[in-house]
Amino acid sequence: MRVNRFWLPLVGFLVLAGVFFVALKRAPTGGGERLVQSVLIGKPASAFTLPSVLDPAMPVSLADFKGRWVLLNVWATWCVECRAEHQVLLDVQREGKVAIVGLDYKDEDPAANEWLQRLGNPYDAVASDPEGRVALDYGVYGAPENFLIDPNGVIVHKHIGALTSEVWRRDFQSRVDGAS
Amino acid sequence: MRLRAGLALALLCLLAPLARAIDAAPPLEDPVQQQRYIALIHELRCLKCQGENIADTPALFAQDIRRQVREMIMAGKSDHEIIDYFVERYGEIILLKPRWSAKNAWLWLAPGVFLVFGGFVAWRVVRARQALLETDTEDVA
Repeated sequence: MRVNRFWLPLVGFLVLAGVFFVALKRAPTGGGERLVQSVLIGKPASAFTLPSVLDPAMPVSLADFKGRWVLLNVWATWCVECRAEHQVLLDVQREGKVAIVGLDYKDEDPAANEWLQRLGNPYDAVASDPEGRVALDYGVYGAPENFLIDPNGVIVHKHIGALTSEVWRRDFQSRVDGAS
Repeated sequence: MRLRAGLALALLCLLAPLARAIDAAPPLEDPVQQQRYIALIHELRCLKCQGENIADTPALFAQDIRRQVREMIMAGKSDHEIIDYFVERYGEIILLKPRWSAKNAWLWLAPGVFLVFGGFVAWRVVRARQALLETDTEDVA
């Protein structure tokens, strides 16, 4: 009985340490990203029509891409990570498996145009969302964020943060390939 | 006199930044609506800066949320509808206070459980010590 009592605090400590360890391992880097991830998945992507960054007279509408896989990429010229992501988007465009729709988030059109001219344009269409209204509808709270939308217009995946070629293959391309 | 005026000025300069409100938008015309607005933005979490609420943050994200809340209030939406709108898009994490639901029950009940358990342990310890004391006095006597 005496021995039991002596070990009890140690066992308690080890259990607690174990819980903390697991929680720490599972915690996403960069602040709770995974916690925010799942809400919109499986829901229809909300429709939007916004002026194009390339030509304000031309509307960009998500409905135009119905029947195709769409990568909705939320980006901005003030976003440092978007710059790192840009090459990946160009590569994805070259593969040609999905349509890439850009949502230029809280940005200015001239800056965005300059960026696209200088770095290349990976987008099938780029919508201008200077006030972040459409982004809010998509539960966006920063840039970059990426949504994968299936041909029926349902959001099947969301990635918060920059797309890397590894993330693209693992979380996006696999879903597109798996469905076809 | 001059010194005092100088000190007062210095103090004012120090305090001035505090007066600069984070929320630059003018208050809503209807005081009841304004009150609801203030309450709502204190309930929502800034996801860009997760320890803070929407009211006390100058982040761009918080500005957009405040604008949306204001517009929804003016459009006649109820508090419940507004909260639901954000939860649908951002998930429950946007609420600073977790909802009472089956999934969250442990969160709300845990403090009570710990209190009862801790109280029980404390009671046991105290009783054990009392028993010890009694034997001590017996020994002395």
